[in-house]
Amino acid sequence: MTAVVASGCAGCSQHRVDSLVRLGLNPNKWDFLIALAGNPNVGKSTVFNSLTGLRQHTGNWPGKTIARAEGAFAYESKRMKVVDLPGTYSLQAGSADEEVARDFILFGRPDVTVVVVDATRLERNLNLVLQILDISDRVVVYLNLMDEAKRHGIGIDVAALERQLGVPVVSGVARENIGVDELVSAAFHVASGAEPTRPFRVEHFEDHIEETVLSVAQHVSSVFPHVPTSRWVALRLLNADDAVIEVVRSGELGRLGDTPDGSERLMPTLAEREHLLSTARRKRWELPTDFHDKIAERIYAVAQQVSEATQLKGLRRAGFDLDRVLDGLLTSRWLGFPLMLAILAAVFWITIEGANVPSALLANLLIDTVHPRLIEIGELVGLPWWLSGFLFDGIYLATAWVVAVMLPPMAIFFPVFTLLEDFGYLPRVAFNLDAMFRSVGAHGKQALTMCMGFGCNAAGVVATRVIDSPRERLIAIITNNFSLCNGRWPTQILIATIFIGALAPEQLAGVVSAAAVVAVAVFGIIVMFAASWMLSQTVLRGEATSFSLELPPYRPPRILQTLYTSVIDRTLVVLWRAVVFAVPAGAVIWLVSNIHIGDSSLAEHAVVSLQPLGFLIGLNGVILLAYIVAIPANEIVIPTVLMLTVLTVEMAGAGSGDGVMFELSNVGETGELLRAGGWTLLTAVNLMLFSLLHNPCSTTIYTIYRETRSKAWTLLATFLPLAIGVIVCFLVTQLWRLVSL
Amino acid sequence: MVDPGFALLTFCGLCVLLLVLLWSKVGLLARWQRSSRLRERVLLEDTLKHVFVSRQDGVVCSVDSIAGRLEISAARAARLLSRLVQIELIRMGSDGPVLTQNGNQSAVRIVRTHRLWEKYLADRTGVPASEWHEKAEKMEHALSSEETDALEMRLGYPSWDPHGDPIPDSAGEIPPSTGIGLDQVESDCVAEVVHLEDEPREIYDGLLKDGFTLGGRIEVISCGERGIRVSASGREWTVDPVSAQNVSVRKLGKGESVEPKWRTLLDAQLGEGTRVVGISQACQGMQRRRLLDLGIVRGAEIIPEFVSASGDPVAYKIRGAIIALRSQQASLIRIERPTESQNSEVIG
Repeated sequence: MTAVVASGCAGCSQHRVDSLVRLGLNPNKWDFLIALAGNPNVGKSTVFNSLTGLRQHTGNWPGKTIARAEGAFAYESKRMKVVDLPGTYSLQAGSADEEVARDFILFGRPDVTVVVVDATRLERNLNLVLQILDISDRVVVYLNLMDEAKRHGIGIDVAALERQLGVPVVSGVARENIGVDELVSAAFHVASGAEPTRPFRVEHFEDHIEETVLSVAQHVSSVFPHVPTSRWVALRLLNADDAVIEVVRSGELGRLGDTPDGSERLMPTLAEREHLLSTARRKRWELPTDFHDKIAERIYAVAQQVSEATQLKGLRRAGFDLDRVLDGLLTSRWLGFPLMLAILAAVFWITIEGANVPSALLANLLIDTVHPRLIEIGELVGLPWWLSGFLFDGIYLATAWVVAVMLPPMAIFFPVFTLLEDFGYLPRVAFNLDAMFRSVGAHGKQALTMCMGFGCNAAGVVATRVIDSPRERLIAIITNNFSLCNGRWPTQILIATIFIGALAPEQLAGVVSAAAVVAVAVFGIIVMFAASWMLSQTVLRGEATSFSLELPPYRPPRILQTLYTSVIDRTLVVLWRAVVFAVPAGAVIWLVSNIHIGDSSLAEHAVVSLQPLGFLIGLNGVILLAYIVAIPANEIVIPTVLMLTVLTVEMAGAGSGDGVMFELSNVGETGELLRAGGWTLLTAVNLMLFSLLHNPCSTTIYTIYRETRSKAWTLLATFLPLAIGVIVCFLVTQLWRLVSL
Repeated sequence: MVDPGFALLTFCGLCVLLLVLLWSKVGLLARWQRSSRLRERVLLEDTLKHVFVSRQDGVVCSVDSIAGRLEISAARAARLLSRLVQIELIRMGSDGPVLTQNGNQSAVRIVRTHRLWEKYLADRTGVPASEWHEKAEKMEHALSSEETDALEMRLGYPSWDPHGDPIPDSAGEIPPSTGIGLDQVESDCVAEVVHLEDEPREIYDGLLKDGFTLGGRIEVISCGERGIRVSASGREWTVDPVSAQNVSVRKLGKGESVEPKWRTLLDAQLGEGTRVVGISQACQGMQRRRLLDLGIVRGAEIIPEFVSASGDPVAYKIRGAIIALRSQQASLIRIERPTESQNSEVIG
């Protein structure tokens, strides 16, 4: 019994609505769908930005933690939708990125696929182009980075390339908007069917293989008569490609072709499909074991041929290879590490110094100015004291604090970091540190996520997406917390200044406190290595897998572009999440201080009951309670501590009331208040250690859950640092007391 | 205030307790896990498998061999056998236990799952070779036949497991295994390794360390009572007769020769351009595919450009791009010897 399936007219995206909806797109919102494919580091995102301008947004591919950028633009009164596919080296579906790209081109069937190619690496890029040409007829090639090619003395005969590939080829420099208009026009003509293409197909493998492929391809054609890519399907079946086998088995492959006259299509029976699969299976056993190698060889041989026929090398080139000189410096045995430390130190210094003034301004605005206004309004409107307190002293204050302390450093750190990334320096860091990370069972790219974690742990966790192997990615995620994030620096600096700087003579006080903070940060890095090692020996055992790191050429970063994307994508997203978690935190803090049981507030009860545990690990009840309610954000720990200290010590004239967090502008006064609360040097040291090692903030916990989608790993990531923190503080305290007895 | 000395002592005590409980393999938790593995069903299946494999290999199977293999007492082994006879999976023949029709089916199913899981571990994960067998021993009892069929489909219906053992298909058919034991090969010939017996574990580990790889070629120099002298990859070593039994080889024709020690990418000097000859068979799965995708195929030109600040990895220029590879990966990429650069024919 054959089922009859209606088909739609060619060149229109309406008839593949199902597949598109599954991929998270709504075909009613546009006329033509453009997919953007290419190797990593070819400037694909630059092309994407040129096409879509500000009309874009980033999300995730459905069911995966791979970012997807989508945008739109109008051309000749048609709406064009652009989807940015992940950068991939090929479509063999080995990694999640390749699967996503392949599935989109195959099942989403974009009206045109634009492949962005790096003109200086034509041969390697052609590998992907040739594979895409195997799947789809409607392809346009954009030769980017022509200026770099010229600098290296490489010229490309674009017309010859076009003839060889059989599809339109447009050359240009996306960064300077050269060639983008021609690209849009070519893409439109191909998408609308106005310009039919005759794409080149890789054929003529070695005799035995070619025979087998042809016979299976014929079989595919006889079962699925209208599928244009029967040869490609045959190759995939012979390669035991799960996704394609499934598509044949379910019959969905039949929907991929267009009948020449738009008539109805017959679908093959289940028996016919299974027969095809078992034939392919039998043929596979007859193929040599290095079949896959031979296919890759053939594609590359063709790529080499095409590139040699169309490249004109040895033109006059710039005599000075800046890239090699830079690499020589940045990865040299003697200078590599010192330069790395210097650059990182510079980034931190810029962030701390640069954030001081804006933070103070924001604090001034939100806390010193707006807050009292809000209270006035509350009184005016006649809000009861508890509602005004709850809303303004609790929720608003916590949120304001988080924003004032978090936003400026992040708004500086992320762009600076992204600029380093765009420049091309970060892969060199991973390159230098890989051996160190591998010795503890992790991946070199963890160095990058660790650095990102110094800005914000949540962003560091998201950054672990660059690590392919799930095991190594988990190690990077779980240990990211040991990077001392921006939110904890104020705490560290304040405590170090009050208690540790005070030990040194006046002139050296500043240096000593800075050194103490740096020591804590370095200790965090050591703990990170130790924890990675521990994890890789116990719950995350396994060998290192498929490492490969491309070192892109150094490119001048696009400063404005970077500022825009890093502010929107990283800063605001993280800030929003932090605010969402700060709201309940503020509520809890206020409630806990103002709800009374008996004659003391909940806060006082909690402080008293937590005191023994606190003392055991060298802290006190106030600090523990502050950390419990400040799970949402590290920024509000000190204000909460001060507020609770005032509450429990009942100092007159200090603070603004129960449940109202505050900070003193004078470091000396803060010190007095804390000492009145019973703080000693030991308390300070333990606080610095605990602040480094305790559980991640709620934003980070939430982000970990989103990225790993596993409760078990999230729990481990939450409690492992806490356990380490408690143990370390305990040991330090007991040893200290033992020694001082 | 708690006395600090006391607190520290308590803490140390707790640590020791945790160690005793959790230390892998020796700790109480590990022992408990092992003993719960000795549940009846698992033991019965293992016995079936042992009988099956012994018959296949033509080796003696008895109560003692079962007891030895399963690490249980002879009395327990005898009880297991009688239980199996009771449920008609085994009957006692003249030369030991023999599988009935049903028994054969069950045994094949277990063997199939075991070998498919080993193939999965080898191809799709980074688990080291010495752990495949152990992990498959656990998994073989855990997967249902639907799950096994799905796994087989995902792996592309392989015929051989990573030790060279044939994988029965869902109907129970087994591709014929070829090869003779290394101890039965005459001297002065070249052979290809088709099977490496994975039990006992110590012998298997020893074979791997010596340098045997599945699919690799060896030259048998001489065989005597004290052992067999072989040479491969430019090295020579002696294999004792017991270990030699665990290696199955296929004799190659007179014209074939053992590959000379390959020159690998590790031997290339900085700035020296060289051509790729191929990627070693020891590199499989994602790792291999990624290298191929980057253009490291036969004939590709590759130049080491510069070294990391810590000495490893090294950055190579391939097809116009700079790719960093670790020394472990570089050791798997074979390159031309300087004299071969004119010769495009390659052995192997």
